[in-house]
Amino acid sequence: MMDIYLPLKRPSWLVDNKRMRTTSDFQWLLSTFVLLYLMNHVNSQRKETPYDLKCTTNNLQKWDCSWKAPSGASRGTLYEFCIDDRSHSCYHLARTNIEIPALSPGDHEITISLQDAGSSTSKFILNEKNISLIPDTPEILNLSADFSTSTLHVKWNDKGSVFPRHSNVIWEIKILWKKSMELVKLVTHNTTLNGKDTVHHWSWVSDLPLECAIHYVGIRCYVDNLLFSGHKEWSDWSPLKNISWTPDSQPKVFPQDKVILVGSNITFCCVSQEKVLSAQIGSTYCPLIHLDGENVAIKVHNISVSENSGTNVVFMIEDNVCGTVVFAGYPPDTPKKLNCETHDLKEIICSWDPGRSTGLVGPRNTSYKLFEGFSGKYVRFKKVDVSANESYHQLLLQMVPNQEIYNFTLYARNPLGRSESTILVNITEKVYPYTPTSLKVKDINSTAVILSWHLPGSFGKINLLCQIEINKINSVQESRNVTIKGVENSSYRIAVGKLNPYTVYTFRICCSTETFWKWSKWSNKKQHLTTEAIPSNGPDTWREWSSDGKNLIIYWKPLPISEANGKILSYNVSCSSDEETQSLSEILDPQHKAEIQLNKNDYIISVVAKNSVGASPPSKIASMEIPHDDVKTEQAVGMGKGILLTWHHNPNMTCDYVIKWCNSSRSEPCLMDWRKVPSNSTEALIESDQFRPGVRYKFFLYGCRNQGYQLLRSIIGYIKELAPTVAPNFTVEDTSADSILVKWEDIPVEELRGFLRGYLFYFEKGERDTSKMRGLESGRSDIKVKNITDISQKTLRIADLQGKTSYHLVLQAYTDGGLGPEKSMFVVTKENSVGLIIAILIPVAVAVIVGVVTSILCYRKREWIKETFYPDIPNPENCKALQFQKSVCEGSGALKTLEMNPCTPNNVEVLETRSTFPKIEDTEIISPVAECPEDSSDAEPENHVVVSYCPPIIEEEIPNPGGDEAGGTSQVIYIDVQSMYQPQARPEEEQEKDPVGGAGYKPQMHLPINSTVEDIAAEGDLDKTAGYRPQANVNTWHLVSPDSPRSTDSNSEIVSFGSPCSINSRQFLIPPKDEDSPQSSGGGWSFTNFFQNKPND
Amino acid sequence: MDMSWDSWGMLACLCTVLWHLPAVPALNRTGDPGPGPSIQKTYDLTRYLEHQLRSLAGTYLNYLGPPFNEPDFNPPRLGADTLPRATVNLEVWRSLNDKLRLTQNYEAYSHLLCYLRGLNRQAATAELRHSLAHFCTSLQGLLGSIAGVMATLGYPLPQPLPGTEPTWTPGPAHSDFLQKMDDFWLLKELQTWLWRSAKDFNRLKKKMQPPAAAVTLHLEAHGF
Repeated sequence: MMDIYLPLKRPSWLVDNKRMRTTSDFQWLLSTFVLLYLMNHVNSQRKETPYDLKCTTNNLQKWDCSWKAPSGASRGTLYEFCIDDRSHSCYHLARTNIEIPALSPGDHEITISLQDAGSSTSKFILNEKNISLIPDTPEILNLSADFSTSTLHVKWNDKGSVFPRHSNVIWEIKILWKKSMELVKLVTHNTTLNGKDTVHHWSWVSDLPLECAIHYVGIRCYVDNLLFSGHKEWSDWSPLKNISWTPDSQPKVFPQDKVILVGSNITFCCVSQEKVLSAQIGSTYCPLIHLDGENVAIKVHNISVSENSGTNVVFMIEDNVCGTVVFAGYPPDTPKKLNCETHDLKEIICSWDPGRSTGLVGPRNTSYKLFEGFSGKYVRFKKVDVSANESYHQLLLQMVPNQEIYNFTLYARNPLGRSESTILVNITEKVYPYTPTSLKVKDINSTAVILSWHLPGSFGKINLLCQIEINKINSVQESRNVTIKGVENSSYRIAVGKLNPYTVYTFRICCSTETFWKWSKWSNKKQHLTTEAIPSNGPDTWREWSSDGKNLIIYWKPLPISEANGKILSYNVSCSSDEETQSLSEILDPQHKAEIQLNKNDYIISVVAKNSVGASPPSKIASMEIPHDDVKTEQAVGMGKGILLTWHHNPNMTCDYVIKWCNSSRSEPCLMDWRKVPSNSTEALIESDQFRPGVRYKFFLYGCRNQGYQLLRSIIGYIKELAPTVAPNFTVEDTSADSILVKWEDIPVEELRGFLRGYLFYFEKGERDTSKMRGLESGRSDIKVKNITDISQKTLRIADLQGKTSYHLVLQAYTDGGLGPEKSMFVVTKENSVGLIIAILIPVAVAVIVGVVTSILCYRKREWIKETFYPDIPNPENCKALQFQKSVCEGSGALKTLEMNPCTPNNVEVLETRSTFPKIEDTEIISPVAECPEDSSDAEPENHVVVSYCPPIIEEEIPNPGGDEAGGTSQVIYIDVQSMYQPQARPEEEQEKDPVGGAGYKPQMHLPINSTVEDIAAEGDLDKTAGYRPQANVNTWHLVSPDSPRSTDSNSEIVSFGSPCSINSRQFLIPPKDEDSPQSSGGGWSFTNFFQNKPND
Repeated sequence: MDMSWDSWGMLACLCTVLWHLPAVPALNRTGDPGPGPSIQKTYDLTRYLEHQLRSLAGTYLNYLGPPFNEPDFNPPRLGADTLPRATVNLEVWRSLNDKLRLTQNYEAYSHLLCYLRGLNRQAATAELRHSLAHFCTSLQGLLGSIAGVMATLGYPLPQPLPGTEPTWTPGPAHSDFLQKMDDFWLLKELQTWLWRSAKDFNRLKKKMQPPAAAVTLHLEAHGF
């Protein structure tokens, strides 16, 4: 049993080989061990019988079975191979394999026995499931290459006839390259077997150009028959076939001139016998991929769009260079905005937007083909040139007669692809006519013309819609739409009416079709002057009597163009009354007035304008002027450009009102212009380009009745008031001591430039030179202003002035337009002698009166005064009680009682005892002390001590900047004795300072202050610094006054009673060392010397 | 390439040419002026063409794209063997007489002009075609000038042999790259030729410096 089963097992193991690969390693290892054991076991027993029966099939019709001979069998051993089926067929054969017809499904017992030894027989169970289907090795019939496209074409026969039934076949094709046979591609290709031998083709495009390396191709197959239950296996690989390129002697680069899609990858190779040094695409260097021999390749990824001449790929070889050009671009975009229209219904123009640029130019540019579906006609478009600004393409196609509907398809193609776009049009609805040309105008009459133009096209079957633009100078342009029948001969004409005679018109025209698609462009403009017609109205007429009243001047205005209807050549004027008729004819055009001598009758004047066609209807006016009531002249001021006149409605006025105006300064007859206003109006805005601001105009309003015109109102006015241009001319009429009379003149109307509203008069005190410097600014208090609003006032008296004073007078006029220039004048008032006299007399008189009154009062009260001020004093001599003997009184001097001696002045010397500053004295001596204190303080501030003397003024403290250096300040003050009693002259601050640091003379007025502050104990110290204190401390009077007659014989007695009536003291400082000082006796002038020397003198 | 400098250069050259143009009839008044003025004119035209070419080459090499427009691109000469070479051995050049030199110049420009026209047909942009056409016209003028000089000097014009007329043949046999190389070399040869011509004409001009009377005398003497 083992012999039977084991051989059967083996094929299954072989078939399952593939499955085994998928099992885990462990299982595989275990199986291997088990198998080795079994094999070893079998080998020990199989030596006796055939074993290892194995069957395969390559066509499902026959099975090839083979087995292994037993160990004892020799080469010529005969085998009997029996199949245990219905026929029980046996085969005798001398080899170990046999081809048997395919057995039916199910198990079949196979007996193989050796004929020479009957005992050795092997039995096998054979089933289809144990059969392997291994197709015959396929063979490549042909391998060819298209080098230009790098495509390999493989051709082989599937030998399908050997298979009895349909089967799917999987072909596996492998492509190897280079001599080293590297696998490039392994692809499968499915076919079916249909019982016949079929040749199959397969193509493959290589990335690498085929010229660059040898390419090998092999093929095998796998028959996948669904009915076959056995194992299916791949056939063997066919013998390899190769394709190679025979290189030139010159190096070459592949692919050549290739067009590829932007962004794709491409491989370039260089076939060279010599070493390639480098490779670059554009200006970018690429790494080399080495192929067989010296051949190299480069790979370019994501190639960008090429320039116009393509992208260069260059391989540098020693002493040589080779290269190629690659064109990277895009396939054509779908044509956008495809539109077909016709200009003339003869030719169709289709235009489109090509869309995105393909990046390919020249021969690789997109070619277009416009195909018409119904007629089958087409036209091609090939654009070779590259022009950046041409964004639209267009094609022309001749129209097919009687065909209106067109189905266009536009095909676009370039080496990278193709696209298309379709449009269906009714061409009669897509007419965009050409621009009309040869526009001509022909007169019909003065108000109508014929326009004719040329419009190429076969529009016989449709109507055209045209727009005529009519432009009249200084007028709104007018458009008229007309529909006209289309014609084949391209000539069109149309009448245009409702025009004005003798008017320049500019015409132009554009056309479309009734089924509107687009307007054509405007034709050129054509200017035309319509013919003349008779003037439609007579001229506007006015008449004016001449200043002497004998002649009537007739004025008329030129007719407006709209009424003239042509060029006015002349005017006819006629004046007719009941009695006579005068006429003036053929007054040529530029003249617009006529003068006729008339006696004061009522005439009717008629004026007729004539042009080349005829005369206008006459315009009539009555010559009579109806007397008017007293008409007052009014004033009016305009607004902006005109002036508004209003009046009340007057039912008597049956015909028009007339307003005439003139410049007021012009002489008579006054007429600048006139204007007629309908009789029902009550106002008129008079505007004229002739009006100028600042000019006075006269306006006259006439009412019209049947018999003539009557002046209703007279107005003077300005369009706009301006400030006067001149100042009023004024003079001083009279000058008195306190007033000035000023007189001025009127300003002429031309220079006034407005209605005079008043004058401004300024006056101020001022001399000619100074006043010029100051303007008359408003608000200055010293300027007095008088506003004279009474314009009839021509004089002004300025009163309350000061006598003999110069006054600055300024006068200026003003209107509502502003202030005019000013005129100024300087006037000096006269001296006021009366006032002076009065000024003297009044005080004198007052003094006299006061004296008289006082005298009278004194006289009247003399008794009282005497009692009060001068009472009677009894004469002591008459007093008996006090009587002395006369001889005694006169003879003995010792009997004197009270003797009232007049006080003699005291000389007081105040001595400065500041011995610590000897040097100060030096400077004192040499200082120029004769100067006044104001000067000395300025002159030498560096001086330590300034000694000065100025009798009426108290010497002030002199700052001593160097005093600190010297150890203290030294202040010496001389004061006149009289001034001591003028304490108000002494500055307040000095009062505060003096008690502390002052060493000079202190008047008594200050002493109480010091005394109260200082206590008594300190008095001694105070004395040293406090200077002169005659009353306070009499003990300090040690000095001897040489001048005093009493000094020798009276000491304390004389001092103690002290005279209250006069203290005439002099003070001077004598420092203690002065006497020893050599300087003191020097040439320097000083107070000390002066006073000390004086007594000696 | 500095375009502004080029423009000024061209303008200067054009002015020079224009300045010299009225000089020719002025000289003619005094009788036969000899070949001097026409040589001068040819020389000036050569210099003008040199400037013109500088501008054209810049534009055209940019059109060819890198690496052709790179300054250091100096490829070996490929496939442009039909172009007349301007480079000539110094010894050989010195040994050439005036007639031979002028003949060579004439032949070379005839060939180059033909190729240049082929270039024009190929160019993809209108601007480039315009520049090329302008240059072709100028080169045609130079050819005429050389012919004039040769006629003045009494040299016959070279007759093109039948079948040797160079033709521009576009076709797939000539790859785009080789065409570009040809274009490159055409411009380069043109430049060298113009340089060489300028030298030739300058030399000829100096040679013809003696008054025309001397030449006439010499010819008369020869006639005797």
